[in-house]
Amino acid sequence: MVPLHFTHFQALFLFALVISLAFGTLGRRKPIERVKYAAWSLLMFLLVAIALGWLMYPFSR
Amino acid sequence: MPEEEIGPAPVTEPAAAPAEAGVLPGPIAADTQAGAHEASHATLPAEREAGDASSSPGGSPSLAGDSPSSVRAVAVALAGWIVPGLGHALLKMWGRAWAIFLTVGFLVYLGAGMRGNIFAAGGEDAFSRLGYLADLGAGSFYYAARMEETTGADVSHADGDYGTRFLATAGVLNLLAALHSYEAARGRKA
Repeated sequence: MVPLHFTHFQALFLFALVISLAFGTLGRRKPIERVKYAAWSLLMFLLVAIALGWLMYPFSR
Repeated sequence: MPEEEIGPAPVTEPAAAPAEAGVLPGPIAADTQAGAHEASHATLPAEREAGDASSSPGGSPSLAGDSPSSVRAVAVALAGWIVPGLGHALLKMWGRAWAIFLTVGFLVYLGAGMRGNIFAAGGEDAFSRLGYLADLGAGSFYYAARMEETTGADVSHADGDYGTRFLATAGVLNLLAALHSYEAARGRKA
């Protein structure tokens, strides 16, 4: 199998996207609610991850 | 997907609760009413699942029987654990079944492709044992990941570290889905 290589952000985005879609599908029943919930989850994943990244930045060196 | 076409689930009124509630004193009656209300929700899932399983002719889950049994629910959960999504497929919750199958499969594919650590049995520390339990949650996909990752893990790079998390997440997500299918098969809110 071909090894996969991602940047940090790509890996983070893929993870957030897949999990958000799963949460939306499992957690809601109507299509529009699923889309909204998945989009909200994705946004929150990304925002929190980026915020945590910046919070840790001063301690990275 | 059929499940999206269903509107709000119909409410099943408890048959005996109102008459009984009138006989009992205040708090007990309130408890009884609450219990009856919960009982009505406990029977509701048959219809709720029908919402998810709308393609089945009678609106009842396919493994069916009219009364949900715990043995059947355990079987459904086990099936869902061994093959991600199978538990929901047995209940004819097709959308969720596909979502779980594809999500867990994709996460395992990514995790193994990124050369994440696939924990084996007999780990030396708690982290390894917990990792093994999480990975094993993916059921048969755990072994698929082991076969896919022929070059072994490489956690010296960020890719491998992320891959380890992807694999663990796949397992935990599948366990969550198996539990969800168990609840649905029991006729509880799911």
